[in-house]
Amino acid sequence: MRYRDIHPIIEKVRPYCLEAAGRLKRFPQWSLKTLSSLMTSVYILGALALLYMVGTIFPQGGDIGEYAKAGGKYVSFVRFFDLLDFFSSPVFLLSALLLLLNLVVCTYKRYGPLFAKRVFPNTFDPTHTFKLTHDYPEALPEVRRVLHEKLGFRLVSKDNEWIVMEKGLSCRWLTWLYHAGIVLCFFGLILSYLFAFEGEMTLKPRTPLIVAPSTTGRLASLYQKTAGPAGFSLYLDDFSTEYIQHPGLDYPKDKLSRLAIGLGWKGPEYSMKNDPMTPKDWRSRLRVIKGGSTVKEKTIEVNDPLRYGGYTFYQVGYEQTLRIRVDFNPIALETKADGDIIVPGLDTPLRFGTVMTGTLYRLDGAVEKILPFTTVKAVLTGPPGGKKTEDLGKLELGGSIIVDGRRVSLADYEESSVLSYRYDPGVAVLWWGGAFVLIAMCLRFYGRSYMVAYAVDESDRIVCLNLHIVSKGLMADTEKLAGRIGYYLTRDDIRPVPLPPL
Amino acid sequence: MLKSASMSSYDLILSRDSYLLGLELRLYWSVAFLYGLSLLFFISHAITRGDTAGKTGQTTLLVTVTAHIALIVLRTFEAGRAPFQTLYETLSWFACSSSLTYLYVSRRWRSVYLPATLVAGLSLGACLYALLSRSPAVEPLSPPLQSYWFEWHVILAFFSYAVFVVSAAIELTCLIIKPLLSRGAARGYGLTLDAIDGLHTTAYRLVLFGYPLLTFAIFSGAAWANEAWGRYWSWDPKETWSLITWTVFTIYLHSKAIPGLKGLPASLFNILGFVCMMMTFLGVNWLAKLLGIPSLHVYAV
Repeated sequence: MRYRDIHPIIEKVRPYCLEAAGRLKRFPQWSLKTLSSLMTSVYILGALALLYMVGTIFPQGGDIGEYAKAGGKYVSFVRFFDLLDFFSSPVFLLSALLLLLNLVVCTYKRYGPLFAKRVFPNTFDPTHTFKLTHDYPEALPEVRRVLHEKLGFRLVSKDNEWIVMEKGLSCRWLTWLYHAGIVLCFFGLILSYLFAFEGEMTLKPRTPLIVAPSTTGRLASLYQKTAGPAGFSLYLDDFSTEYIQHPGLDYPKDKLSRLAIGLGWKGPEYSMKNDPMTPKDWRSRLRVIKGGSTVKEKTIEVNDPLRYGGYTFYQVGYEQTLRIRVDFNPIALETKADGDIIVPGLDTPLRFGTVMTGTLYRLDGAVEKILPFTTVKAVLTGPPGGKKTEDLGKLELGGSIIVDGRRVSLADYEESSVLSYRYDPGVAVLWWGGAFVLIAMCLRFYGRSYMVAYAVDESDRIVCLNLHIVSKGLMADTEKLAGRIGYYLTRDDIRPVPLPPL
Repeated sequence: MLKSASMSSYDLILSRDSYLLGLELRLYWSVAFLYGLSLLFFISHAITRGDTAGKTGQTTLLVTVTAHIALIVLRTFEAGRAPFQTLYETLSWFACSSSLTYLYVSRRWRSVYLPATLVAGLSLGACLYALLSRSPAVEPLSPPLQSYWFEWHVILAFFSYAVFVVSAAIELTCLIIKPLLSRGAARGYGLTLDAIDGLHTTAYRLVLFGYPLLTFAIFSGAAWANEAWGRYWSWDPKETWSLITWTVFTIYLHSKAIPGLKGLPASLFNILGFVCMMMTFLGVNWLAKLLGIPSLHVYAV
């Protein structure tokens, strides 16, 4: 094929190619412009809000097999869009990434203008006018002195026919700062997403346990299965529980009886049936051991974790192992609290409840040590898929009860502390970002900032001060400011006389 | 075995607590009745356009809120802690704070009572829901709730809810009345087209006030979860819906700066934000129960 043969085709295609090339060239600029627009933010935020809703309809973290077994609908659709782990799905992550891009571009594009010279107002349109009693040449510096010295305004520009002054923190800076804070929070979230991992460990008393996570962060999991030993161990010195006694309320469920109580015909009644006790707190006295010596000690409880080596250890619960002796058999049976155990010689399994031990805060204010005891139940065969139980009574430590002619005693018990741990380098970044967001947002929304443009005019020997006040923030009050300007000008012998608006 | 306490001292404490609860419930029912009464006056104002009905409704609402504050003080005394733990308690706080915020915002209005209809209606609904469906028992705080983050989280969240309720009530009034005013069919409500613009601004300023509170509530909730459960965010349905509410109000605030959206679309976003807020507060409990989704916020269900 010769050139002259294909020339007409090239000529035909050429404009389209040029247009495509032009579009491609303009693409980065177009994307930047689109990503920095407020409208794009609205669209992305709207899409994200819808995606969040999707995530609340499907049980997150569920298994697709169990979902299908439980009668869940649209299984293939749920699997395709990863709706049971939606907040880690590509659809959601891409949308979140788009929001981050939008935020970063907006924040970047608005950084330069923070330092640009402000032009205000485009056309001078006074909102307040005062007649001054001073001579024209003296009035202008006097007004500026009052605004600067008495009211704390600073000069922005004096190049135009009007002078511009401002007061308060710059709204542009504050707005920029809380957007930048949100970007910082996003980076914290990304760090958490990529590097955080968590696990659980059960600490037995006086038995050191090496902290060796069985998982690792998402990024590290690409090349290794676990994060490896943390290089220190935890030692449980002591574990304690606290209970509080609280009465039960005898209160009707039907609406008419409730109305009767409201009308005073009946009264609600608190009662103390079966010594009701509810957990108040549980604590673990922990030691961090590194290289054979204790490097940190702390008593942790719910809401007060231990932090060491980038890890945070949380008190999540406890486990109890009960030693049960049947008759006088020297070998004790071991069972977990609230677990079922088959006792030789008995037809039905037994269930031993949590051993109540530790400190009890009584209703009347008294504090006492609980003599350890558990509850015993016989587990009967119930309806398919369920079990019925029959209360057999309380069993104190060292005490015994007779079940079907067998003596069952609580010989001993051991409490272990259940801790969860988390390694998350994103948390600190997130809190810093959050602090930025909140401080800047509160200052921007609740604070007050003013910008005043003014000109002193003289006509027929009448000297007038024309003011244009712009305010930002919920605490700002332009009328109050105008009043204060008037007051200070009066006090300084330039008597202002308010004129009707032009 | 536990030592048996002297029955007389227990009986005394139990009868005192029972008496106080009975007193609280009678007061609570009276407050609900007063909310109902003020709602009737406001409905009557909406139908008859009479200033007297509106004024009486406003006065009744003022009396109701005063009684409601007394009720909350009584509950605080009874429980020995800030009364925000159970849904029964938060519903009461929601009703009181919404009406109080409305009374504060409307203190300078002359003859404008329409937004109060929604506020009084919601307060009545919250009170009746608490009284008829929830248990008023004073429960001790469970270990995860014993955190100062929890108190800040709830207080700020409910302050923002109160502000959003009033903002939505104003916005809804504007949306309904504006077309009627243009046709000259809404005389007697104390509103003009200029006043409607002022009300839009008030609704916007209320969201501006509530938005940082909601932001702080979300952050304090995350900080609390981080201290108690070791994870600052777990995509729990309540957390997710609070984020949806925050996102919708973010859209609203942004749309106020976009010329094409600052009118009707922005107003609709504000009302949508209110709907999401109600979903966060109450709807999500129902959703979690309906779909069997486990929630960390079970104490509030």
